[in-house]
Parts: sequence; C-alpha cells; structure tokens
Amino acid sequence: MNPFRVALAVARKDIRSEWRTREMVPALAQFIVLALLIGNFGFQIDARNAPAIAPGILWLALVFAGLVAFGRTFAAEREQASLEAMLMTPASPVAIFAGKAIAASLLLVICEAVLLPALTLFFGTPFTGDVVAAVLLATVGMAALGVMFAAIVARVRARELLLPLLTLPLWIPFIIAGGQAVQSAMGLPGNYQEAIGLLIDFDILFVVLTSLAARFVLEE
Amino acid sequence: MSLLVGNGLTHWFGRELALEGVDLVIDTGEHMAVLGDNGAGKTTLLRILATVLRPTSGQLEIAGLNAFRERRRLRHHVGYVAHATGLYPALTAAENLEFFCDLQDVSRTRVEEALDAVGLTRVARRRAGELSRGMQQRLSIARAILHEPRLLILDEPDASLGDDAAELLTQVMKDKTVVLATHDHALANRLCPRTLVLRHGRSHGTATRLRVVR
Repeated sequence: MNPFRVALAVARKDIRSEWRTREMVPALAQFIVLALLIGNFGFQIDARNAPAIAPGILWLALVFAGLVAFGRTFAAEREQASLEAMLMTPASPVAIFAGKAIAASLLLVICEAVLLPALTLFFGTPFTGDVVAAVLLATVGMAALGVMFAAIVARVRARELLLPLLTLPLWIPFIIAGGQAVQSAMGLPGNYQEAIGLLIDFDILFVVLTSLAARFVLEE
Repeated sequence: MSLLVGNGLTHWFGRELALEGVDLVIDTGEHMAVLGDNGAGKTTLLRILATVLRPTSGQLEIAGLNAFRERRRLRHHVGYVAHATGLYPALTAAENLEFFCDLQDVSRTRVEEALDAVGLTRVARRRAGELSRGMQQRLSIARAILHEPRLLILDEPDASLGDDAAELLTQVMKDKTVVLATHDHALANRLCPRTLVLRHGRSHGTATRLRVVR
C-alpha cells in the first residue's frame, strides 16, 4: 500500500470538508485581523519600533491560530467516530498522521496569507520573501507537533486546556528562531541565515520524532 | 475450517470487568449472532474481534493470523460496522466510499457496487450529513464491505435500518463469515444458525437456534 496515496487522500478529504463547511478558515482569518488590530492600537508603533514589535505580534497571532487549527484536526474525527473507521483500514498510521498534518499546515498557510499582508498594512513592515520563508519553515515543525498533541488530547475531555499546555513549550524553539529570522528580515540586527538554519534543523528533528511517535499515538 | 478462534478473551475497563474468559470458534462461512442485554459485553467482544480493541488477556486468531500482532495485515480480511456510523458529513456518499477505497487500497470501481448492494445508488451524490439515519447506516455497511472482507462484524446494524433490514442484511452477509450483535431475537434466528449469549461479560454458551423464552 502506497503511504503517499494514503496521506494525500487524508489531506484531500480534510481540505474538501473544510472547503464545504468553511468552519475554520473564515474564523481564523477574522481572529488574525482582530489580533493585529489590537496590537496596532495597543502599542505606540512608529516606523522606528515597528520591526521590533511586529514580529512579536505576528508570532502571537500565529501561535493562537495554530492552536485552534491543529486542535480541530483530531477532535472532529473523534466526535464523529471516523478516526476508528480510518484506523480499521490497513493504511499506515504514519501516513494518516502525515495527511492530517499536511491538511492542518495548509489551513495555517492560508491564515498566513492573510496575516503577512495585513501585518504590512497595519505596521508598515516589509513583506519580503525572507519573512515568508521564515514563517513557512516554522509552520512545518509547528504543524507536526501540533497535530501530534492534538491526536493525544483528542481522547480526553479537557483537550482545549491540555493542547496549549503540551504544545506551547515545544513550539518555543520555533518562536525564538522564527522571531530572530523575521526581525532580521525586517531590518533589525541579527543573523538571518543562522536562524533559518535552526528552523530547518528543528523541522527535521520534530517531523522525524512525530512520525515515529504517530503509530503509538494513533493506535490504541 | 475455522476462520476465527478466540480463547479466554477478557477485558477490563479500569476496575470494571466487561468481558470474562470468552471462548469461541467460528467456521468459514458461518453466521453467528451475539445476544445479551445492554452492558452484557456484546460491543466489547465485537470490538475485540474487529481488532479495534486489544483485550486485557486472551488469544485471538483470524484467518490463521495473530489478531494483535498482525492486525494491519488482518484488516484486509475484516469489515466492521460499529454503533456510530463514522462518516464524513461534508462529503457525499460516493466521496466517503472513495476515500475508504484509497485507504483500503481497492479500486474506486467498488464504490458503485457497494452503493448498489445497500440500495444507495440514487443518493450517491448527496452529502452524508443530509442522509437519514437509516441511509447513513446503510452507507456505513457499504464501507464495511468495500474491500470484500472474509469476516464481517456487525454491531446492531438493524438499529435504524427499517422494515427491510433482514433482506438487506441477508444480501450483505451472503458468502461471508459474520458475527452479528443484535437485540432482535427474531432477526438473529432468521439470519444466524448459531447464537452466543452473553450475560455480565460471560458467555452462557452457544446454541444452534435460540429458544425465545417469554
């Protein structure tokens, strides 16, 4: 059985469901715009301090949007008992996990497509390829971790509380390295290449670790 | 020839004993009903036989394979209809089955055949969430037979099927080994020559026909 076919089928199914129900993306996009609006009025932002403050607001909005997006990936499957049906097939749990992670990442990328231009609009920070690359690289590892913890907490009642408690500490490396990369891409002192190298290392580490853990997490 | 052999199947949920030392042998092509009151352990037994749940102790062999060590290989041979339909409400009936074709590694041409087998061809393009409960149950049965399993495990499939439940199940169960849990004794007698009765998680033996005592 081809695991890529399974992963693509799972991702396609999730995206098709989201496209038809539009449960997540409009709400997340609205949340992101509101977060930026609050940031804009909450800080005294001018051309000098925008590159220092804007990355912080960017990562805050992204982290909370990610928690909501990843939290729903397995909760919906559990609620409608479809996860059991999926796991009753001979498909590899790792492929199923990969498919869920791809779909959740794409949802977050769509949110980022709203977030990054809106950040430029509200704060006047540059919208460059370097900023986009840093955010996309962080999304990969954050999605792998977020979806794995979402699968773990989907079994418990207090999942909305547990997911941030488990996920946020492990997202810190992405926020630090991503924050440095975005700040230096916006013109503050810092080594962009080094931060991007760190993000790539973290991506590889966490994608491998979560793939190894997926089998144990998904199978009872 | 035996397709399924279970020995001493026991399951605890925390401190509660759900199933205690159930032994059973089911031959290829045999249809067996599992009867019992609510909480008797029917669903727990069926979930174990479907390899969804690993028992606390006991051995289970299906088609000559160890059901717990080789469960992914085994899933090519097992179809399971659970209490919950486990469908994707935003996808159409056909799309639900196409998705499971990809996961079962079977050709998508099976979708039409499976829908036809459960009488849902005319609603193939309707979303699963818009179907009636009975139609959703039929779709869930179609999903279970998509890969033409040798062993079919049905947990109260008649619950919302309506008047033609027996005809539909007779058609679906043809040429398959079946374990069927139900509360309907008449249906069990009609579809299954053999019956296993569970009480408080214990097997009270099997019979070739159930004697309905009023």
